Amino acid sequence: MPEKSFEDFIRQHRPDFEEHGPGPGVWAQLEKELRPPKKETIIQQLGRHWLKAAAILVLVVNSVVIYQFLQMKKAQHLENVSPELQDAKMYYTSQIEQRLQDIKAYPASVVGLDSSARKELELRNETYQVLEAELIQNPGNERIKAAMVHYYQLKLDLLDKILDELKEKQPVIQKQSNYEREI
Amino acid sequence: MQASTNNLNQTTITDHLVDRCKKGDVHAFRELYNAYSAAMYNICLRMTGNAADAEDTLQEAFMQIFKNIERLESASSVTAWIKRIVVNHCLSRLRKKKVYFEEVDNIDLVEEQGGIDEDSFAWTVAAIKDAIHILPQGYRTVLNLYIFEEYSHKEIAAMLDISESTVKTQYMRAKDKVRQIVKQKNVIR
Repeated sequence: MPEKSFEDFIRQHRPDFEEHGPGPGVWAQLEKELRPPKKETIIQQLGRHWLKAAAILVLVVNSVVIYQFLQMKKAQHLENVSPELQDAKMYYTSQIEQRLQDIKAYPASVVGLDSSARKELELRNETYQVLEAELIQNPGNERIKAAMVHYYQLKLDLLDKILDELKEKQPVIQKQSNYEREI
Repeated sequence: MQASTNNLNQTTITDHLVDRCKKGDVHAFRELYNAYSAAMYNICLRMTGNAADAEDTLQEAFMQIFKNIERLESASSVTAWIKRIVVNHCLSRLRKKKVYFEEVDNIDLVEEQGGIDEDSFAWTVAAIKDAIHILPQGYRTVLNLYIFEEYSHKEIAAMLDISESTVKTQYMRAKDKVRQIVKQKNVIR
């Protein structure tokens, strides 16, 4: 057969030069890029991370219970249990705190009280806490209310006596005046 | 009349398909891919010379086609638009492989001698395919773009960023090489 034109031959047999198409992997890859993976729903995420979800649930429940407990405790504070005692408490507290401050102005060597005695003088000592707890447990108990007032009065008297003795030993104001005079 | 009605239907279908693609319909992308992937894969195969590169190039090209289909102004030119994107991806891959389109003639051929019997010479599809396959990459690119993809010398010159006369020379040389290789095979047989 004589030689045909190269171009003619290719045009005449053009379909025969075609091969098969691409493999299925090409479209699969394209589809993956066209459809990014859907975000999991909350239910699906819970299913996959059930242990974490359970731990979070326990923490949430605990938090709620603790919050409710604190709210209950708050509701049981003295002012809620016995409003009429609240005024007495404010008065005596301020008086006692003032005297404690005055006592602290003296040097420890002059005061002559050890740490346990000093702790006992503090406002919220063990006796106070026991009385307060009793009152919360028995809000209507007048004897406990009277005992608390009595406790305040005793403590105030005691502090006054200590202060009187300290003033006799070493008047604070005069000491300061002497000190200022020296300067 | 029947032919023009068919053309009209085809145009309507293509318009509709392109419209759906522009709306991001994945099913429409699949239809577009099914319509063009075989022809475009053959371009990639001829240009890159191997199936793995051809598939990678086809995938990259179609991803760009899907992403940029909104830029296609007229659905009637969708074939030419797709083909151009595919060819550009093929050329880009060849450039990454450091293929130079003005490479020197380094194919090792037996000198043509007067002993070749022209009467016994015949083109065959397989012989031409084999011959094109062993051409230097630069020659093969020019020959493929001209004879198979039917771009003009001017268009090829613009694509490869070389002069039109270089394209013509390379094409002639490529064609001569193919003829020589095919003739040699005829003689050997």
